[in-house]
Amino acid sequence: MTVTLQQSSASSVLKARRAHNEKLARKADQTRATWFPLALLAILVALPLLQFVGNYNYVLHLVLFTASYVAMASGWNILGGFAGYVSLGHSVFFGVGGYFAGMLLARYGISTIITAPLAGLVAAVLGYLIGLITLKVRGPSFIISSIALLMIARILFDNWEFVGGANGLTLPTNDLPVQWAKLPYYYAMIAIAAFTVWATYRIKHSKFGLGLRAISKDEIKAESAGIDTRFYKVMAFAFSAFFVGMTGAVWGEYLTYLRPNIFLLILVSANLVLMSILGGKGTIAGPVVGAILIVALNEFFVATMGASEINILGTGLVMAVGLIFFPLGLIGTLAKKGKLPRVLNWD
Amino acid sequence: MLEVKNLCKHYGGIKAVDGATFTVERGSITALIGPNGAGKTTAFNCISRTVTPTSGEVWLDGVRIDQLRPHKITSKGLSRTFQISRNLSDMTVIENVIVQSRVDGIRGLLRPAMSAEEKDKAMTILDFLGITRIAYEDGHNLSYGQKKLMDLAALLMSDPKIILLDEPAGGVNPSLMEEIIGHIRALNEKGLTVLIVEHNMDLIMRLSHKVVVMAQGRVICEGPPEVVRKDPHVLDAYLGGVLEEEAA
Repeated sequence: MTVTLQQSSASSVLKARRAHNEKLARKADQTRATWFPLALLAILVALPLLQFVGNYNYVLHLVLFTASYVAMASGWNILGGFAGYVSLGHSVFFGVGGYFAGMLLARYGISTIITAPLAGLVAAVLGYLIGLITLKVRGPSFIISSIALLMIARILFDNWEFVGGANGLTLPTNDLPVQWAKLPYYYAMIAIAAFTVWATYRIKHSKFGLGLRAISKDEIKAESAGIDTRFYKVMAFAFSAFFVGMTGAVWGEYLTYLRPNIFLLILVSANLVLMSILGGKGTIAGPVVGAILIVALNEFFVATMGASEINILGTGLVMAVGLIFFPLGLIGTLAKKGKLPRVLNWD
Repeated sequence: MLEVKNLCKHYGGIKAVDGATFTVERGSITALIGPNGAGKTTAFNCISRTVTPTSGEVWLDGVRIDQLRPHKITSKGLSRTFQISRNLSDMTVIENVIVQSRVDGIRGLLRPAMSAEEKDKAMTILDFLGITRIAYEDGHNLSYGQKKLMDLAALLMSDPKIILLDEPAGGVNPSLMEEIIGHIRALNEKGLTVLIVEHNMDLIMRLSHKVVVMAQGRVICEGPPEVVRKDPHVLDAYLGGVLEEEAA
């Protein structure tokens, strides 16, 4: 038998409250600018038209590269940002996605753009299984277990002759003229990035997302609140692996070769973490802003300082200074202070 | 309704709970009292499975629950609060409450975090506790007393049959304590069974129908409050004496 509370005698108070809350909700809606990401997407979709007036392959490459990181950082954010489990092993899923779709391309000639969702699914299943084991610990232990996962995967792929071992394997290139050769991957990557951002938004505003947020704050409380924390965490791991795996699939064909020292690098994982933290962990726009900033900074410092060690120092310095002034990341800190520009409020 | 049989929890050589047996009758307010270190909170944690008992059984409405995971126990209708209010900071009060509402199946996971009905239900609960004004306040901006009330609100969201309250009036001012007593009594009158751990004797004596006294991990006495307060074992335990069998 359960206890139900009737609308009490103070229901007029309740009504007034409800009106007040509706006002708050309307206000929150007004501060949100959904048109902005859509406009941005429209511009990116139209961007290749530039190819008619000149050679803008470099611009397309930069956008494609940024989009791949937007997708991966947003995917990472599901586990690292919402559920609070920082993983440094996500390049494994990048590699698994890349290799799975790449092998299908090499053996059967099916484009990775078609097989990307399947590659994502394979990464998700792997993420689910690994999550069952590693998500039993949290904090530093989890981070170390994720690095261990990456090292194991690296050794495995370095010695697995079927997929080319440490030498990797070359994938067939498409036969489009050089001006248009990037386009299929460009659109595929934009689509994956947009889909990922949309999916993280949906996840954050679902029961699942609310549960993950509870888990990140206090797992014992979340469990006693009736949340199946183990299932939620493992599903978060699987979802986040899915998006990273999909990105890896298209990235492999775009590069036209697969090699463990391209995919299974801790640098890729570290980038995802840095982007999410700089932009704002657990926010929707955070990983997007972080990815754009870090790619832009890298390019800027490489262009001005050359590909020396100093360019890395430059990016690092900007990050450090950024985090001193924005401890919750750009989006997180601005939102907390109520100073987030409307165009960046995607939550 | 709730039966605890021979419950044990050992931490190495320390027997925090050492064969506790007691029952909580349907519709009652039962208090679990005892000096510090008697094992009350550990017993609580074992019942809600926040810690795994070493041995013993816990039955809820004829279903054995001591092998279920905590969220399953919650869905069977047993909800608890924590001694030190564990709230989810960075989430608003209403989110803290709604997070406790039941989610069924995979499709349930994907529905919106807060439906209109859930918001209405949460607001009704917050209104019952008189804290609607803080509904959209951030969890960590609350005072200690408000957190206690929010915990209580969150419990009610999961439609429990029995609630376990760990020191609901610990560290709150007397007027708020009166308020909390009033709420617990009102909920009990609506048919909710309550098991409560509390140090405040005044509250226990006024509120509870039955008192279970624990000392050194064991139940040393149980009965109506007026009987228990005169029991020599209880006086002994509270005044720092040793149990007879230990002295022997």
